[in-house]
Amino acid sequence: MSLAEVAAAIIGWPPVWQVLVIGFLGSLVIAVLAVWFERKAAARVQRRLGPYWASPRLGGLLHLIADMVRYAFQYPIIPRTVDLIPFLAAPIAGMVIALLPLAVVPFTSNPAYWPLPPSAMEYSLLIALAIVTLPPIFIIAAGWASNNPFAVIGGVREAFIIVAYELIAILGFLGAAASTGTFNLVAIVEAQGGIMWLAILNPLAFLAAFIAIVMSTSAFPFEIPESEPEVVAGPFTEYSGLLYALNMGGAYMRRFALSIILALTFLGGWYPLVPGEGLLMGYILPSVVVVVKAVIVVLAISFLRAVYGRYRLDQALDLAWKILLPMALAGIALGLFEASIGLT
Amino acid sequence: MSGEVRVYGGWRDDLGLKVIPTRRLARDVYEVFIGPQHPGSGHMRIIIRVDGDVIVEADPDIGYVHRTMEKLGEIRGWIKPIPLFERMAIHDACNITLPYVRAVEKLMGVEAPLRAKYLRVLLCEINRIAAHLYGFAIFGVFLGHSTMYMWAMGDREVFIQLAEELTGARLTHSYPIPGGVRRDIPQGFPDMARRAVKYMRKRLEEYRKIFLDNPVIRSRLEDVGVIPKRLAAELGIVGPNARGSGIQYDVRIIEPYEVYDELDFEVPVYTEGDALARTYVRVEEIRQSLRIIEQVVEWLEKKPREPIVDESIYKKYPPLHKKILESQGRAKLLPWMATMKVPAGRAIGRGETGRGEIIYYVESDGGMNPYRVRIVTPSARNAIAFKYALPGHRVMDLPAIYGSLDYFPPEADR
Amino acid sequence: MSGAELVEGPRDYEATLKAARARAESALREAGISFSVEEGKGFVDLVVDVDSIVKAAEALKNAGFTHVVSVTAVDYPKKKSIKVAYHVTSYLDPEIVGGIVGLAVYLPREAPEMPSLSGVWVSAEFMEREVYEFFGVTFKGHPDLRPLLLIPELAEKRPLRKDFVVREESIYEGVPERVRRG
Repeated sequence: MSLAEVAAAIIGWPPVWQVLVIGFLGSLVIAVLAVWFERKAAARVQRRLGPYWASPRLGGLLHLIADMVRYAFQYPIIPRTVDLIPFLAAPIAGMVIALLPLAVVPFTSNPAYWPLPPSAMEYSLLIALAIVTLPPIFIIAAGWASNNPFAVIGGVREAFIIVAYELIAILGFLGAAASTGTFNLVAIVEAQGGIMWLAILNPLAFLAAFIAIVMSTSAFPFEIPESEPEVVAGPFTEYSGLLYALNMGGAYMRRFALSIILALTFLGGWYPLVPGEGLLMGYILPSVVVVVKAVIVVLAISFLRAVYGRYRLDQALDLAWKILLPMALAGIALGLFEASIGLT
Repeated sequence: MSGEVRVYGGWRDDLGLKVIPTRRLARDVYEVFIGPQHPGSGHMRIIIRVDGDVIVEADPDIGYVHRTMEKLGEIRGWIKPIPLFERMAIHDACNITLPYVRAVEKLMGVEAPLRAKYLRVLLCEINRIAAHLYGFAIFGVFLGHSTMYMWAMGDREVFIQLAEELTGARLTHSYPIPGGVRRDIPQGFPDMARRAVKYMRKRLEEYRKIFLDNPVIRSRLEDVGVIPKRLAAELGIVGPNARGSGIQYDVRIIEPYEVYDELDFEVPVYTEGDALARTYVRVEEIRQSLRIIEQVVEWLEKKPREPIVDESIYKKYPPLHKKILESQGRAKLLPWMATMKVPAGRAIGRGETGRGEIIYYVESDGGMNPYRVRIVTPSARNAIAFKYALPGHRVMDLPAIYGSLDYFPPEADR
Repeated sequence: MSGAELVEGPRDYEATLKAARARAESALREAGISFSVEEGKGFVDLVVDVDSIVKAAEALKNAGFTHVVSVTAVDYPKKKSIKVAYHVTSYLDPEIVGGIVGLAVYLPREAPEMPSLSGVWVSAEFMEREVYEFFGVTFKGHPDLRPLLLIPELAEKRPLRKDFVVREESIYEGVPERVRRG
């Protein structure tokens, strides 16, 4: 076996490709792109230049790398009164566990490159959704460990927001399962390849899932746990240096992981590309298509910063329980109806 | 029950035990210091006591930018306090110093000529628009709406450049002096002013679309921080806050100074008393100020240029100064004004700044310095609204109420 | 959001001040309080005794003066007294709206204290705290008398009194002699 074949086997092994390459490396690159787009688009709306000097010919695209270098060299100040182990572990664990859903979702319909055995693949949607609910606990732990009134208030707000969005996220994604009658993500994607994407067939569930993603990752207009004018940075107030960068990066990675699930369930997954045999056609290219769709969702979420203010906490909860929950349930009903008349 | 908590303290790593006294407030009440080092507090501290998410008690702790202006007013003569008092609210410079100048004029017995009065009104209205735009910018960033912040600050630049054309300085104008003003309008100023007015009218439409009609912003402002009319009258709050609660009061109409009784403008009053009403009052005031600027610029363009200082001062001008005044339109301060003596008496000068009514009580005993200058700024009178309007609201309403009251700590602390 | 009302057109301040003065004087006379008048440009001061100031304040409040505009304190070391004047005006009564009438009292300079009027006019609460810290005037019955703007160490020196002299430094302060000579 030549070196190239060994390398291809290692990189093409689903856990390595999905968690390490797309998960860590990919989400770092996408975080650079998403942060750049967020700042640049907001700057253009606000009639100013935005990031510019870090790489003028690219329009400031590499600005986040400069920021990362700065955070890496910054002196991390750890106050004496914090609870040390949770304080240090929370951002790191949060970031790692944020990427775990990528270990269980399929990126291709070629069974040779599925991350789970086919019997477990039947429930891949449920497994992914279950893992997605884990990271917020670490945000609350970071807030509690910081021993600062603002951090505690921010952590408590995160707990409230979880109550708001979690049910809607699960019900919204289950709307896709209701349409196709299975929890198997591969079957859901293949069902969409035929006629059209589930985003168009079942817009209620799509909208509910999308807004739930916005709520869960503190994007405007729901940037409530870390809102600046009331709680300085919410649970992340006492963090400085690399730990702060890990916290912020964790939010973007959660957004990316949820967007990948959204792209698979509602936006057609790897279609219009039909996966073939071999590493390139069967695995790498379809996953690139999925990643591109997820990136578009992430950029759309980032753009909301330029347009919206921030909702109040109880208003966000009202919105979730009075408007979005009925909408998610209606999405499930619509999905069941469409399945019964044979649309999918 | 009070007690003591021992912590390992000391910043020099001495590991000595430090004792922090504690006291128990009440069950389930959490005291949060929204302190001076906070992105959403300005240069002041609000101590709030919170029960869950609801504010039970609020205590404004002001005085972090106290600059002893009342004491300095007693040792600096009569002219030097003009740039001093300007620094209280520097983006409202002409509005803040004009009432002091008028009080001194009342004591001296001089009056500014008509052209100088129109020039003062021109700069006052330009500053009023700039101050309201500053208020909107801070309000936007408190609500998380960074686009409003950038747009308002960018548009404020237009009016700052207009003021620079008129006075030579972007923010620190020091424009009115006892007896008149310091500069006349340059050539080409009326066209600049008209272009600025047209531009601002277009921008107000954009603000409405992205900020005032934004459903997120409306839901955060509607019925938040309601101050009913009777409470507003008892607390004595001023400016757009009072006019948003239904109180019909504006110093430009109650005690018309300069040429406000000859101009055609309206002062809006809304009765709901919530944060949205106060914001609407400010938007309407910007519109009316644009109208006033148009009328004033038209008058200044038509009438011939005349001396912009009072007769009694103009006769004492040496020939060089008269030549500069006629050719360049600059009135230079004469040396005797630095140590002039003002006859004894007491006077109150009032004006309407962007944030409300400002009052100067000036007392003179015939000397080179004022005997007493008492300043009551609009933000100092609005400070009490924090104590009585905040309880009952949620913590997230605090920036909304703070921004809608347009409280400016350097002005309140003097 | 309903439409805007407008404030009624330009008013004559001289007439307003005269009406406010007349109403204040008649209110005080009905309450049986003696006062003397001190004129000023743009306002008028009615001087009463310390003992009758609370009654006078209540009389003025009932006559329609809703809030305090300024609590002005002036230090007269030559007359050995501190004058505290409550400049009040009205918001709600269209006849006297905006007219400033002052309710003044002279306090002895050594131990100036007077009853607090924050029970009558809520708007005086913060301003009385200011007079307390700058002049040392104690307001009996004030709910929360502590310094408003200054730290307590500085408030003990009573900064705005005339005997607190601010020493001004020359620009050569702290510069050694040989450098100063150049």
